[in-house]
Amino acid sequence: MNNPIEREIQVHASNPLGLDGIEFIEYASSRPQAVGQVLEMMGFRPVARHRSREVLLYRQGAMNVVINAHASARPGSIEPGERPVIAAVAFRVRDAAAAYHRALERGAWAVPTHVEVMELHIPALHGVGGSRIYFVDRWREFSIWDVDFVPIPGVDQHPPALCGLHWFGIVQYINCDRTGDWCEFYRELFGFAELPDDKRFGVMPNGKILASPCKSFYLQLVESPPFMVQSDDEETLQRIGLGTPSVPEAVAALRERGVEFVESSQVHSNERGALTTHWMGSLVFELVHDGGEDK
Amino acid sequence: MTRFSGYLDDFGMVTLTLAGPLAAKFKAIREAGFSHVMLDAKDIAADAGGMDSAVQAVKASGLRVSGLQWLLDFEGLTGRQHDYKVEVAKGMLQMAHALGAPVLLAAASTNPASSSDLSAIARDLRKLAMMAVPLGLKVAYEGHGGAHRIRDHFAAWDVVWRADMPNLGIAIDTAHAVASPSSLDDLDLLEAYKIFVVRLADFMQPSDAAAPTGPRAPPGLRVFPGEGHQSAAVADLVRRLAALGFRGDYSFEVFNDDYRQLPPPLVAGRAWAACEWLGEDVLRRSVPLPGRLRLRQASEA
Repeated sequence: MNNPIEREIQVHASNPLGLDGIEFIEYASSRPQAVGQVLEMMGFRPVARHRSREVLLYRQGAMNVVINAHASARPGSIEPGERPVIAAVAFRVRDAAAAYHRALERGAWAVPTHVEVMELHIPALHGVGGSRIYFVDRWREFSIWDVDFVPIPGVDQHPPALCGLHWFGIVQYINCDRTGDWCEFYRELFGFAELPDDKRFGVMPNGKILASPCKSFYLQLVESPPFMVQSDDEETLQRIGLGTPSVPEAVAALRERGVEFVESSQVHSNERGALTTHWMGSLVFELVHDGGEDK
Repeated sequence: MTRFSGYLDDFGMVTLTLAGPLAAKFKAIREAGFSHVMLDAKDIAADAGGMDSAVQAVKASGLRVSGLQWLLDFEGLTGRQHDYKVEVAKGMLQMAHALGAPVLLAAASTNPASSSDLSAIARDLRKLAMMAVPLGLKVAYEGHGGAHRIRDHFAAWDVVWRADMPNLGIAIDTAHAVASPSSLDDLDLLEAYKIFVVRLADFMQPSDAAAPTGPRAPPGLRVFPGEGHQSAAVADLVRRLAALGFRGDYSFEVFNDDYRQLPPPLVAGRAWAACEWLGEDVLRRSVPLPGRLRLRQASEA
């Protein structure tokens, strides 16, 4: 063993990366103000700007959301377009470099990063579609936001969460007959585990649910029906799920702020969950009952 | 029933068989009646217009792409050799993705320096299949007579099971059935859903048992099914695969010096005759295969 300290570090087989939740979720959009308005309706507040790029940080409670309107010169990356897309998810891990190299060793694709002088190099992997998966290991005593972002003056840097909203999960759309592939991907590279098929949350129960190794959030893989024409565009991070101890209270509070929810014969708000209507053609949020009892 | 009606849609040609530029090959294959094509990476890389032109030619052809061949000598290496092959594999996977090929064919390594340890081979194949996941691709691994360790489809099957990835399966070549007819008796040990591609050819030699096989084998006289001395073995293999429940793509893995100097339409016409022989005489199909509905192609519109 090269590093004698490794002998004393406890590594759990079920959580090989020391994964510990989501540090941020990034949207790419050429209309950051419009996306920002939606986020504010959902209870987020703008708290900081990136030092060198057109990137804004929104926050509520423990959730960070980044809106990226910066056009990249790199081929293959998601370019901000009219329709906002979830372009990246950042996982908190024990050691970002170790997690990154472990993933590469097992078949992940590295995304080359080009940072400006004095900015942090956050390692990234290719995720579904053109999205990225970042590894962040600085969130306790020191954060990535302290380095690359400038706080907006006079703004509360830690706005409280509306009705206890917190990360619950991410819904990923995949092509037909691809559930097995993506389950292996998330299991092998990050330590996610499949839940039994009878374990369901919220009002959109289709697909396969994977629990993060830290048991703090979920991934939901939803295949397209077999009769649909398959294309690469079908595979994407479709929406974010927000947990709350009381869905009816959260729905009422968000309605007061102008948020509309889907109320149809098939999907409607209830104690288990709720689904917002779409903004800008693609931006949608799901509320899920989560009082912490399932984790 | 027209030749485009679909009941022979699982048979296709490989670009390698024909002479000429890509667009001419696609035109001949399409006009002969085929709906899909297996792409040979060398044909793509050698296209005069480059990769972008090749992608455009594929899209304009109206043909579905069944796969891209060959990733060579990937598994069983260590250190810098392994790192180099990972980069090659990434290039091949990106090519397959750009071309709309759902499957990358990987031939068992011929490199004498590669490991014979099945666990090491399985680990590398698992990594290759993992690399294919974000691109939406499958990997079909083929054992062949010229390989260092994995010399037939049963050895390939074993190592694919060890690797245990949903998007990793095997490719089967008729050459093994011809070289070792007894291996057909054990074909029903395989699971049809793990056979991603079947490559068919007939042979002009009375017996090809001693002939080398695999992607680097000399051309020899591989001809279309029904044209050679091994037609009975080909028919036997196809019937057994059908009974096993195989519903994937068959690809005519035919290459010889004669067909590379004849006009592509003439050669593609012979391929279509082989297709009719297999469909009507061997498999006795009279109606379209269930579950193989085909979207109308732009060129038919």
